Amino acid sequence: MKPIERRKFLQLAGAGAGAVVLSSLFYDQLFAGMILKPGEELFASRFGVTKEIMKKVLDAALSKGGDFAELFFEYALNNNVVMEDDIIRESTEAITLGVGIRVLNGKKTGYAYTSDLTPETMQRAALTAAAIASTGAKVRVAAIKPVQPARQVYLMTSPFADAPLGDRITLVKEAYAAAKAHDPRITKVVVNLGDSLQCVTIVNSDGLMVSDARPQARLRASATAEEKGKRVTGSSNKGGRVGMTFYRTAGTTPKEIGEAAGKEAVILLSAADPAPGEMPVVLGRFNSGVMVHEAVGHPLEADGNWQKTSIMWDKLGQMVADPSVTIYDDATIPQYRGSLNVDDEGTPTQKVMLIDKGRLVSYLHDRLSARILKTAPNGHGRRQSFSNLPIPRMNNTVLAPGSASAEDIIKSVKKGFYAESYAGGMVENTGKFTFSVNLGYAIEDGRLAQPVKNATLIGTNVQILKEVEMIGNDLAFFLGSCGKDGQTAPVPAGTPTFKIRQMTVGGRS
Amino acid sequence: MSAKSNDRMGLAQSLVTYGGKQGASEVEVSIQEGLESRVSVLDQNIDRLTESVFKGLSLRVFVDGKAASASSSDFTLETLERLVDNAVARARLAGQDPFGGLPEAEPVQAKAEDLKIFDPAVIEVTVEQRIAIAKAMEAVGLKDPRIKKSTGATCNSFNWDVTLANSKGFAGSYRRSLINCGVGFQGGEGTNLFEDYWGDSSTQLSDLKAPEAIGKVAVERVARLLGGRMVESQNVPVVFDPQMAAWLLGFLGQCLAGVSIARRQSPFADKLGTKVGNERVNIVDDGLLVGGRGTVPFDDEGVPCRRIGVIEQGVLKSYLLDTYWGRKLKQRSTGNSGGPNNLYWAAGTSSPEDIIKSVDKGLYLTRYLGLGQEPTTGDISVGAFGMWIEKGALAFPVSEITISANLGTLLQNVEMVGNDLELRDSVSAPTIKFAEITVGGKSG
Repeated sequence: MKPIERRKFLQLAGAGAGAVVLSSLFYDQLFAGMILKPGEELFASRFGVTKEIMKKVLDAALSKGGDFAELFFEYALNNNVVMEDDIIRESTEAITLGVGIRVLNGKKTGYAYTSDLTPETMQRAALTAAAIASTGAKVRVAAIKPVQPARQVYLMTSPFADAPLGDRITLVKEAYAAAKAHDPRITKVVVNLGDSLQCVTIVNSDGLMVSDARPQARLRASATAEEKGKRVTGSSNKGGRVGMTFYRTAGTTPKEIGEAAGKEAVILLSAADPAPGEMPVVLGRFNSGVMVHEAVGHPLEADGNWQKTSIMWDKLGQMVADPSVTIYDDATIPQYRGSLNVDDEGTPTQKVMLIDKGRLVSYLHDRLSARILKTAPNGHGRRQSFSNLPIPRMNNTVLAPGSASAEDIIKSVKKGFYAESYAGGMVENTGKFTFSVNLGYAIEDGRLAQPVKNATLIGTNVQILKEVEMIGNDLAFFLGSCGKDGQTAPVPAGTPTFKIRQMTVGGRS
Repeated sequence: MSAKSNDRMGLAQSLVTYGGKQGASEVEVSIQEGLESRVSVLDQNIDRLTESVFKGLSLRVFVDGKAASASSSDFTLETLERLVDNAVARARLAGQDPFGGLPEAEPVQAKAEDLKIFDPAVIEVTVEQRIAIAKAMEAVGLKDPRIKKSTGATCNSFNWDVTLANSKGFAGSYRRSLINCGVGFQGGEGTNLFEDYWGDSSTQLSDLKAPEAIGKVAVERVARLLGGRMVESQNVPVVFDPQMAAWLLGFLGQCLAGVSIARRQSPFADKLGTKVGNERVNIVDDGLLVGGRGTVPFDDEGVPCRRIGVIEQGVLKSYLLDTYWGRKLKQRSTGNSGGPNNLYWAAGTSSPEDIIKSVDKGLYLTRYLGLGQEPTTGDISVGAFGMWIEKGALAFPVSEITISANLGTLLQNVEMVGNDLELRDSVSAPTIKFAEITVGGKSG
């Protein structure tokens, strides 16, 4: 099961990750300049892990007969600030340091990791990972050649990493005030700003060595409204691989984020439970990317396809969707939450067409799946941290826009359901999925009518993809996080407004 | 105590002292260090082997009622002291919070060794033994004609040490172990596929269920879904199997957490001491359950764990509180800073067979799909799979339907509670029958 849990921040806020750094000595030494000059220097200069040591660890990793070995070095800083009950309640700073050592032997993977970057400890971990093979060394480690990522998709001006805590607090307070001020019925607001800088160096037995310094930020607001004993919570968030200026740009200001959370809460006060049944469903722009993520993205991750557990494993080259449907994943969109210069195996990212006018043309690959399915990796090997194996994941998944206006799409429905925001979605290997709608509307005679909460949309991807009817011209993205195999990854997805001919809506009667 | 555990306590206490010197009025440091060992098998071939030592240190400081926290997997002293310095400086910029601060030190009565949460045998299980367990579970499905595909089998073992020290004089540590294993299968025809999973976990190696038995349950859970179809939308009684009842109880635990109550993002805010369910609702959280998956002598803040009557005969007796959210509610921590410990719905007297027999027309719920649980309102809306009940017997499998309900209403409508409670997880429940829930499906 692969939930997108955009709600979980309510519980996570203040729990573990993140914090705020002052311009401390430590901080300056480690991170200032890292952004513009990423690379091997960090692990060599701070931890004494030179190229020669890396080579020796790779030698050890292949000493028992593996055919590919890789080291993933990570030093990451996460910051978090929480405001609640009118005060800055807490700030958190988290440091992640370690190396993950992977050995491939055919389809088999051996893995070990450690936070101690001494040559002896890394050597020992390499031998542990090497135990996936037992024939004795077969493949030699190539000479290590450092390369620079070919592109820079992150916004590197005014990095959060250089921002004093006071500046972050200002952003948080602005969002908080806007949510509180939106309506007198707002009784509770929680605002949370999380940002991180992840520095990685990836070295492998093919001789690749590449480093990347990846910023990430997200400002989130939740607002609870109360009226006549009824309580509801709305939320909103914006962010990406950006710096402070992002939150000084129209459309993504803290004030707008706070207001949006307050607005959703107030609308939910008047929301009713939907009547259950099958009906036409219009999926709104922004948040309905969750549908593309669950119904298309997950089933096309190549691990489930080489393992033949995904319902899509035997459908490559076939028409799997209405011919109006084109879906791609593009990790190179500048500054987007899911964008990367290189993936977590050092493969350059690219735009990958998945469904081209209804035809399934590619899966999302990491090195292992590409090797097994005899194709090239396409930059989708990702991992949560050094302690996790890379697996095929989405980055920014997009349903390409069509030509209809949102208004015309809604007008075309006499009686149906419109989904605006979601608590999340979930999909099985079988292609069966659900989305939990946080806020929706009944459609009556081509117009949005009664607000609706507590609805579930359910279906099977191979059926729903053929039921797509009208696609709008108003592409927009939501910012998601997704859990798969116990690993969380930032994964936005984008859709225009679009219509499904018929879908099961769960509700209460 | 081994030399290493002395080292950890020494490190924790030295950072507590260092924080005080840097100007913190209160400091808490906790260290987790352990070994994880994972095996996964697919189609009887080894898929992945992972073996690693993991470690993490986390700390909290308070300066005049202002809080900051930090964590690190980099244990170099320079880094850790810098983290403390940063935390003290950051705390000064936080708001003054009258509810912040460490708990007053309370003696921990429970002895870790009496709680059966560590078993040296779990560490000694070899990679080969775990591969054999995974293969044996998977083999059951691979030779069953109703199963089309394995989705993989795993067997993992963990052991770890927790060390906690704070400036109020608390110093405690314990060691835990856990072994878990599980297998998933897929069955069905064409594009109408079904899957499910079954597994077991234990703090003690000898308590782990036999791999063949686990594999068999996984097979049966898939097989009974095969050919599942939709039913018309209607309101019917719904019987939750123990896994689904535990899922519902997990949501209840979330709604009873101090953070949800204090934020009033729960249907049970202001409901302490009132009747929130009928007399069949009896909920316990036992942090000291011997051998329990969630058992610990003290919680993340050093507050002793205990047995809590959460709901008794429908009356809400206690929330699940840590120190901070407890203070906001003018109550003491219940030892739940790590969430529910061993939360369970006390067993009733009916056999699961009798519960199904009592239903003329309704749903036997065995699997859900979705995230539709809204804590503020208690609303539930998810995809559902299971068996349709007709005239007291399981008639045919149902699939791709939805169930919608409200947790507050459900607790008032409990009709029967099963006698089949097994404390196999940190949240456990028996079979439970609810009077009426909306099932969404075909338009009738």
